[in-house]
Amino acid sequence: VKCQHYPPARALQASAALRRASDEHKKEPLTSSSQQHFDSPPAGHQPEQEPQGPHRSYTGQGGQESEDYESEEQLQHRILTAALEFVPEHGWTAEAIAEGAKTLGLSVAAAGMFHSDGSELILHFVSECNTKLSKLLEKEQKLVQLGEAEKKPIDEFLRDAVEARLRMLIPYIEKWPQALSVLLLPRNIPSSLNLLTSMIDDIWHYAGDQSTDFNWYTRRAVLTGIYNTTELVMMQDSSPGFEDTWRFLGNRVADAMTMSNTASQVQSTGEAVVQGLMGAAVTVSN
Amino acid sequence: CRCRALLSRPAGAVRARRGLAAGPEMHFGFQTVTEEERREKIYQVFENVAKKYDVMNDSMTLGIHRVWKDILMHKMNPCPGTLLLDVAGGTGDIAFRFINYVRSVRQRQLQRKLKHHQNLSWQEIFDSYQKDQFNSLGDSQVVVCDINREMLKVGKQKAQHLGYSEGLSWVLGNAEELPFDDDKFDVYTIAFGIRNVTRIDLALQEAYRVLKPGGRFLCLEFSHVSNPLLSRLYDLYSFQVIPVLGEVIAGDWRSYQYLVESIRQFPPQEELKAMIGDAGFFKVDYENLNFGIVAIHSGFKL
Repeated sequence: VKCQHYPPARALQASAALRRASDEHKKEPLTSSSQQHFDSPPAGHQPEQEPQGPHRSYTGQGGQESEDYESEEQLQHRILTAALEFVPEHGWTAEAIAEGAKTLGLSVAAAGMFHSDGSELILHFVSECNTKLSKLLEKEQKLVQLGEAEKKPIDEFLRDAVEARLRMLIPYIEKWPQALSVLLLPRNIPSSLNLLTSMIDDIWHYAGDQSTDFNWYTRRAVLTGIYNTTELVMMQDSSPGFEDTWRFLGNRVADAMTMSNTASQVQSTGEAVVQGLMGAAVTVSN
Repeated sequence: CRCRALLSRPAGAVRARRGLAAGPEMHFGFQTVTEEERREKIYQVFENVAKKYDVMNDSMTLGIHRVWKDILMHKMNPCPGTLLLDVAGGTGDIAFRFINYVRSVRQRQLQRKLKHHQNLSWQEIFDSYQKDQFNSLGDSQVVVCDINREMLKVGKQKAQHLGYSEGLSWVLGNAEELPFDDDKFDVYTIAFGIRNVTRIDLALQEAYRVLKPGGRFLCLEFSHVSNPLLSRLYDLYSFQVIPVLGEVIAGDWRSYQYLVESIRQFPPQEELKAMIGDAGFFKVDYENLNFGIVAIHSGFKL
């Protein structure tokens, strides 16, 4: 049927049974505090996942009803999500993943499915944050379209978007430097760069950027620079509520605006100068 | 001897790989025997070599088998609290490495915890020492299971000699019919043992049964070298040098002839991967060591 083109076209029976059992018992309010927001439902969108359709698409080998069978990727996704709550204690390591697997009722050996340096966990977290940011920006855009909110000026929009995205790092801020260094490993650079650029694209898209000329690259380069530098400032910011970071961010965004104004001024001045020279040349030749 | 290999291999090997009970003819090295005979012969082989097993391993592989086993342990990367079942673990090499690994991980864990305890009172520090001190393994345990009494005996002696006592148990059992309950272990390893199992599919099914959901299956075994030049050198070494070493060091040429032949009869990497997948494991993969002389297969019960 639908599952023919995937070689391991079997249901994960062990995990399915576990989930059925745990779903019945648990009404754990994992979303109790703002920190625990990361429990997104498995059928949600994951940019790095292969297109699979709803997770009811597999029928078991015995022709059983595929109520809640899931694929390997979805299970891995769930393990990583569960592992996030152990990151503040254990760091971005295989230990955190092992603890996460334990909470799902799986053996700690399941952490062997992932790299021992925690790369997948970090990439998973970054992609989850980007997804949340997209949803947030989409919601805001809807409000503007419905006329319930004012359309923000560009600098304020950028500032709020970057601030919202960086605030998602706050629960993990102590271990984030470790994560940054892992993201810079040659093995991870393609994925991490991909995630970064798609996030920046998203922000500009919701900011209303529809340029098709060289501006597209300039805008993205500028915003990437702003984001990265602000992130680094945040790493060593010890002010209450990270106010130093937000002030830094505001200044950088303002700089960027000024720079673009200056650039256009320079351009128009240049054009004016050229016209003046042409006029002078014509006068002289006459 | 090479043409004998070509002749007997398809017949015995194919049936052996399918593991049909209807065809009791199996391979024992390059000979064809029945299932029962095979089990007996293998039992005798290991009974004979038990005392010299470790010495022979070192001399045949020039000590590289230690590196292979270390790599297996690193791949497993066990954290404290892991329950390991080492099947065909005979003389305990994997079990001892596991204990060492978990002990050092536990040390690091405790050190990290202490670093955080910078503002505690003396009483609290004392209490935490009390609690953690008796837990140098962090509740990890390894069960060594082997079908051969002699190998287990050698293993227990080694453990006593090297001072391993905590977290270690020895069980006599058959890999095709393990004396354990379902869903018990975090990791199942079988290092250089699955080759000697008569019904590999049954052993894999048993492995699946006794593992917890999320548990990991790891198999370290001699496998097939694809590089033709290396393959020829390897064959030369295997058939000319190893039986001679066997005779000189252990006084037993036949057992080591069997060993070398059984390596050739064993399914290659991809086939073993398919068999592991058939038993129900997911994310089955293998890693070649030394160009395929040895391979580590890994699968998860999901």
